[in-house]
Amino acid sequence: MTNELSTPEQWLEKYGDILYRYGLSRVRDPGVAEELVQETLLAALNAKNSYAGRSTEQTWLIGILKHKILDYFRKRSKDKSQVVADYEADIGQDDYFDRHGNWQENDAAWLKPDQSFEHEQFLSVLHECMGGLSPRMAQLFILSELDGIKSEEICKLMSISTLNNYWVMMSRTRMQLRNCLKKNWLDQ
Amino acid sequence: MLTCKEASYLISKKLDDHLTWRDRIALRLHLMMCKLCRGYASDVSKLHVLMRDSGEEARALLPDSIKLSEQSRERITQALSKQTKHQLDNNQ
Repeated sequence: MTNELSTPEQWLEKYGDILYRYGLSRVRDPGVAEELVQETLLAALNAKNSYAGRSTEQTWLIGILKHKILDYFRKRSKDKSQVVADYEADIGQDDYFDRHGNWQENDAAWLKPDQSFEHEQFLSVLHECMGGLSPRMAQLFILSELDGIKSEEICKLMSISTLNNYWVMMSRTRMQLRNCLKKNWLDQ
Repeated sequence: MLTCKEASYLISKKLDDHLTWRDRIALRLHLMMCKLCRGYASDVSKLHVLMRDSGEEARALLPDSIKLSEQSRERITQALSKQTKHQLDNNQ
């Protein structure tokens, strides 16, 4: 049995918000995310005949969107001014440790084992905290953590020169995110 | 003996890659003695698991209240119907 495709207008109706949130959580720019939804639906319209019906419509559309997102990241990494600006933003935020390399703050973990991540409020805080990362850090974190892309692949995609730089950037990103979550989630 | 700063780097690296056995042992020793670093390790690994699970299930990690704006819906509808019309014209 093959799944019947709905019309493009129905796609927008049914999956518009899902695609938008999926895109926005990755590119982090509402204008770009909207643009990507449009590109995805147009590409889907052109590729309508090749839809094999093996996956659900939603999975099919998200698959197209994924490609669009990677293309967007690839293009952006070629913009050297962006790269330099982001590197500068990454430096100078090591306020988490004192000069002996010990933690500045003295409190414990922010998440108890039974705390639910699904909580709408937690998602809002996470969204906010990701917004506080430099664009490059956010992109790195998303590609690696959310999309599970291999380190070597990400270095190529984002013009990161060595794996060591990659680990350093990931470590800083995690540190900053955790600090932000700790401040804004636990202390509510 | 590792500092907490060095330990935090290894904690993160361990989520992305293998550690050398030397680093692995140094980190284990440090974690045994340092409660703050254990807390950090637990937090970032929870975040890691949350992100991976969400990614695999294609969840957006954004609250459902975030939606496509009416204006952009309008714009996209127009672009779609223009394209549909274009396709029909080509088929005739």
